[in-house]
Amino acid sequence: MNLGLRIVIVIALQTAALLVMVGMKQYTLSTGTPVVLKTEPIDPRSLFRGDYVRLNYAISRLQIDKLAGDREFERGDTIYVLLRQEAEFWQAVSVHHAPPPAVEKQIAIKGRVEYINQQSFPGQGAPAEPIKTINVKYGVENYFVPEGEGRVLERPKPGETVSIRLVVDRNGNTAIKAVLVNGVERYVERLF
Amino acid sequence: MGNKKFLARLAKELPDWAARGWVKAGAERVILDHVAAQGNGIPLLTYAFSILGVLLFGSGIITYFAANWGEIPKLIKLAILFGSLWLAYGAAWHALRNRHAPLLGQSLLLLGAILFGANIMLIAQVYHIDSHFPNGVLLWSVGALVGAYLVRSQPMLVAAIALGWLWTTLEFDHFSVRHYAHWPFLVLWAAFLPLIYWHRFRAALHLALVALLWWSLNAFGVDGLFWNTGSKTYLVQIYFLAYLAVYLLGMLFATFDRLADFARTVQRYGIFAALVSAYALTSPHIQSGQWGHMWGEKTLREVAGSADMVSTFVALALVAALALWHRNRTGGGARPAYLMWGEVLIGAIALLMLANLFLGGVSGGWVAIAFNLLFFAGMLWLLYAGMHTDDRFLVNLAFVFFGLTLLTRYFDTFWTLLNRSYFFMVGGLLLIAGGYVLERKRRQITAGIGARRKEGAP
Repeated sequence: MNLGLRIVIVIALQTAALLVMVGMKQYTLSTGTPVVLKTEPIDPRSLFRGDYVRLNYAISRLQIDKLAGDREFERGDTIYVLLRQEAEFWQAVSVHHAPPPAVEKQIAIKGRVEYINQQSFPGQGAPAEPIKTINVKYGVENYFVPEGEGRVLERPKPGETVSIRLVVDRNGNTAIKAVLVNGVERYVERLF
Repeated sequence: MGNKKFLARLAKELPDWAARGWVKAGAERVILDHVAAQGNGIPLLTYAFSILGVLLFGSGIITYFAANWGEIPKLIKLAILFGSLWLAYGAAWHALRNRHAPLLGQSLLLLGAILFGANIMLIAQVYHIDSHFPNGVLLWSVGALVGAYLVRSQPMLVAAIALGWLWTTLEFDHFSVRHYAHWPFLVLWAAFLPLIYWHRFRAALHLALVALLWWSLNAFGVDGLFWNTGSKTYLVQIYFLAYLAVYLLGMLFATFDRLADFARTVQRYGIFAALVSAYALTSPHIQSGQWGHMWGEKTLREVAGSADMVSTFVALALVAALALWHRNRTGGGARPAYLMWGEVLIGAIALLMLANLFLGGVSGGWVAIAFNLLFFAGMLWLLYAGMHTDDRFLVNLAFVFFGLTLLTRYFDTFWTLLNRSYFFMVGGLLLIAGGYVLERKRRQITAGIGARRKEGAP
């Protein structure tokens, strides 16, 4: 095999790997069901990649005894959280190890258990309560913004609420579709 | 050896070879012309500048686009990412074809591998992907490795190994959630070996061995394997046996024609790591378990638990199997005496380690004395082996560890026995005199090795 052909194969394989990354997200963006989640943007950082906002969703921390489904999880487990629309935002209904059966007006979102707390600390010196919570990462906790705009989202003006419109595909994979401030689109992700 | 030195040596030797009939009369000039035409090998400075240039250029591209990212439409971003990747590889092809700029070509291949990784990160940014981030590094490493296989590039392989090392470190530091070692790294690591073997990539071999030793610290040190099973002393014993196995593997390599090139490198990494572990085992504090506050143990260590015992037996069996294999490979002619003494030493170490499994911290002092005796015997053996095989590295290593251990024993034995001022005065004199004697002896031996090499002794 000559050198030119071998380099072409390297290019083809590496390009294919990158296209798979792009294709998976494009698939989710183009076929997914929109879901609006309440969020509190925290801790924007300026890395050499630019600014990004770290997103902390209401469903990032789940109180397990308030939800239906499976009880026992370990760090690193894959978790499916079934969501149901409640007024403006979607809320967690149950948690599962495997994708739950499809139910109308509900959708399962896939995540990974980051850590488990056996106790909850209410703060202000109050003693710890035996409430089991699990912290879940969904892979949509970062949102990159143009340089210098991270702080605007981090510190909304009084009365402003920030929420995220995700899309969830049939496999539970997610992608960020839009950032909403007071329900109005501030940043929108287009296909291309 | 540089080409000029090689030429000079060849010019000196060739008349003698011709006189002995090893080289045809008149062929000397042809051989010398041929060697001279090969040039000076790899011009390291040019290579270093090319690589540095590629690294700087790659970093510049990433930071430029990152800073201006928000203003560029998504489709254009993707076109830039893919275009830069294709351009780098296209330029590499141009430089490599007809071998007109091989060093630049290799540097451009490395640039391609760097851009592949940059593209992974920037696509993750374009699509706000925030998943299990070591996977991105793994993908990067695999991409560089596939490239290295296809275009037989050492710089790409070195990049793949460095990224594999980064991958396992990230997995262990951030995601070692279930208390087991990061075993998948071994699969990736094994994939580096055929390329190193086929193309004799020495820089890649060095990095691969460093990465493996680094990984082994994590793998051995992981809590889950040895959780609540007594003392970490046994863990250090297993470290020692595993590294000794690497050293023996290097000795075995020397007996195979196709592997002999790698023998010394593998031996050196193995013996260095083994000596560090053995040095730890000579400590009375570790043997008695009196470093409890630091190691999270009780004041006196307990006897070995079942996991430690099984692991020690497996490691001992591995060492014994390699030693026997080596004996089998070298048993044909008169076997050098140092090999027999090496086997005796391994046997004595094995017996002591086995006995130590059943001895608690109460016997720690005696066990430490036994380990010290074996350690110093081991240094003498290493010195002998180094002289026998003309390996200056082994001789130097033996002297360094000999001196270090002697000094350590002086400190932990006489710190409490002598008045402080006497302690420092005697210690200072010992250092000056001992350092002088050891250095003089070391120079004599290594100079002897150098002289034998010049004479072309076997």
